[in-house]
Amino acid sequence: MTTVEPKTFLKDSVAFPFCKGCGHHHYVHNLDRALSSLQLDPKKVCIVSDIGCIGILDSLFISPHTFHTTHGRSTAFATGVELADGILNDSKLKTVVVIGDGGATIGLLHVVNAALMNVDVTVLVANNMLYGMTGGQNSGFSPLEFITPTTPEGNIVPPMDICAMIKSCGAEYVTSISATDKNLTTVIADAIAHPGFALVEIVELCTEFAIGKNKIDGKTIQTMADQHNAATLPTTFKRKEFCEEYKSKVLGRPLKIKNDALTQKYISSLRGSRRWVIAGTAGEKVQLSSYLLMRAGILCGLHATQKNDNPVTQGSGFSLSEVVLSADDIYYTGIDVPDVVIISSAEGLKEVTVNGTLSRSNNQTVIIMEDSLPEILTPAKMYRVPLRSLCTPQRATTSAVAAFIANELMIPLEAMIDSIQMHVGEKVALYEEDIKKILPLLS
Amino acid sequence: MSTPLIKIRTGNQMIAEGALHAGCQFFAGYPITPASGIYKSMIEELPKHNGVAISSPDEISALAYCIGASARGAKAMTATSGPGWSLMIETVQYALMTELPVVIAVVQRLGPSTGGATQGAQGDILLTEYCTSGAYTIPIFAPSTAEECFEVTSLAMFWAEELRTPVIVLSDKEIGMMSEDVDFDSLVSSPINYRRQPNNDTTNVYKTYDFKSLADIPLFSPVGGENKATITGSAHDKGGSLQKNSPETIEVLRHLQIKITSRAGEMAFVKTDDDPNADTLIISFGITARTAREAVKRAREQGMHVRLVNVISLFPIPETLLKKAAEGVHTVFVAEENLTGQYRSVIQHLFTGKLVIGINSFGKMITPNDILECTTL
Ligand code: SF4
Ligand SMILES: [Mg+2]
Repeated sequence: MTTVEPKTFLKDSVAFPFCKGCGHHHYVHNLDRALSSLQLDPKKVCIVSDIGCIGILDSLFISPHTFHTTHGRSTAFATGVELADGILNDSKLKTVVVIGDGGATIGLLHVVNAALMNVDVTVLVANNMLYGMTGGQNSGFSPLEFITPTTPEGNIVPPMDICAMIKSCGAEYVTSISATDKNLTTVIADAIAHPGFALVEIVELCTEFAIGKNKIDGKTIQTMADQHNAATLPTTFKRKEFCEEYKSKVLGRPLKIKNDALTQKYISSLRGSRRWVIAGTAGEKVQLSSYLLMRAGILCGLHATQKNDNPVTQGSGFSLSEVVLSADDIYYTGIDVPDVVIISSAEGLKEVTVNGTLSRSNNQTVIIMEDSLPEILTPAKMYRVPLRSLCTPQRATTSAVAAFIANELMIPLEAMIDSIQMHVGEKVALYEEDIKKILPLLS
Repeated sequence: MSTPLIKIRTGNQMIAEGALHAGCQFFAGYPITPASGIYKSMIEELPKHNGVAISSPDEISALAYCIGASARGAKAMTATSGPGWSLMIETVQYALMTELPVVIAVVQRLGPSTGGATQGAQGDILLTEYCTSGAYTIPIFAPSTAEECFEVTSLAMFWAEELRTPVIVLSDKEIGMMSEDVDFDSLVSSPINYRRQPNNDTTNVYKTYDFKSLADIPLFSPVGGENKATITGSAHDKGGSLQKNSPETIEVLRHLQIKITSRAGEMAFVKTDDDPNADTLIISFGITARTAREAVKRAREQGMHVRLVNVISLFPIPETLLKKAAEGVHTVFVAEENLTGQYRSVIQHLFTGKLVIGINSFGKMITPNDILECTTL
């Protein structure tokens, strides 16, 4: 029988850069042994680390890929690696995140999100309860009464239990273990082998900043690890890994080619440009009417632009569109003097008042305004039409646009009807009725 | 005769189209007005083309996912606006340092802070360009129409891959969210490329950041590939080992700049509406370049001799082209929608001996009349 000699992934005879007695020595050796014991091809291993004492372990590894990232963000970078690997390459790369408790405090969201996704990333948190590299400040993992340079009276904020937190995100492999535990190699190896998100909290000591002022020893650390293991884990793995899920549910979604290409069908006699402002109430198809107008113009070989405006909450308040139709290329997309203004509701009227549309109107401007709204002073040619009662609020602006077109004859009405029909099918008849009712009121 | 293929598209949708055309394989995004249209289009379209498009819990994650995917070999992109861009800056610097290609579409809105989500602006020019410690040159391309959104995104993908560096598409709310007729038959695109990789001969040990001359681009080998990749955002030598300030490390840091500026001539891209007898030059970009074009049309009707330059490659600054455009003119106007004339502040030194005047607006679009009034004074 031949046994495979476990070989190291570490550089030969390079001294570790950690302080004497620092728990990181155990961490690195056990990670190396775990990788060896899994007999992984080092080209199929990527160690993603970030800032902090533990983060500089990348320089110790000779054969696996190393990816040294920004403070606390290693899990997010690793997620990106894994998504590209699992979905685009399918090469079964093992992505291992090496992060401290400081980094995990900073980048907690990235760890949470990777756990929620169940992406095949293994996060090994070196929890020595403080930020070692930057001078021993307390982290979100520092225990109560823990004395650090930034908590000289003892920490007054309780620590997080990352295991409980990550379990609550549906992670199926989560455990806490002391850095000196003899099972550490096996636990790390199991976590890496787990075909989904896995997190191991490795509780250790920063000899430089934690001891001396704090009464802390192997037993305290063991107790902490035991407490963090209290929340129960599922006994069987039920969740599909994210990339597998994505490949089966999202990727290669049938290529529904949206055929919305337009070709010229009608002829317009418009020279120069027509600038429209259409204003009404959200939910009353104001922006749709503008889109249909724009489409009608393009069907006549015109150029067109459309801009929409509404309050930050999209479904309430005013809704306003600006449409420019032009026989020439449209350079300036704003509207200084509107040619046509359609106002279908009080919200619309308020907005064209506030945004200056009305004050910029002149005696060349035509306004078609809902009859029930209060009088306004304007040099524009004003038509008062009971749009809401004649056409219903939902059809008001579209029918008003179509009626204006039918009256002005610059764009053939057929082009607008074509657009309406494309959108509502047979119900176009209702709009044709509306147009007949509005037309006499525009003369 | 083929029938023209006209479609109604927003600038945001055309940025997505441009990215897909260029072979973008990975998109991670976080919604923000006015850039959300790009995110939405990519989520809809990329999986149909066997790419990955996912939502991320914040902007830092979005860009970090992209850089991770880029390290694994994917052509990646994200999109955001000012507030999200601020959050991404550390990660952009990281991409620059680690020479990982990525395209970021920044669709500007009114700042500072949350500012005006649905108000247009061109006020993030300097924030976007000078976001790195050390003020490295980040290529920035600015579209002024939906069609140019396609063109410029394809160009940005090209240069990101070519130079192994982050490249920005700097759009704005007006261009991004406005719909217009787009002639798909006349779209312009750049060649589809991919970062150069080492060949498989194993005689040389692969070094992640190796180059001979400072302008060379290191060959790319992904994490998970056949060569051990050693990626780090810390100051490093050519092999990717952390170094303080060894001569080789300083050389690597200089290379990050030189590799971009040495190609500035090739990246330089302006669109000129010329009058050979021009005595006045108007420089603009993005939405305001369109307005300026309208103003120039009207100015010429009044008998003025005006040349218009629409700057597409804002950075590296197309110095030679801008200087050439100013030949023979006595006054240079720079029109942009921000308070202080950000782009003007970095190009005015090119026009010594000429009058350089800013045309600015804040919280509202510059109008053709604004420009005409200034230029006819
Ligand atoms: S400072 Fe603390 S964490 Fe850092 S190497 Fe020293 S003992 Fe370890
Ligand atoms: Mg720590």
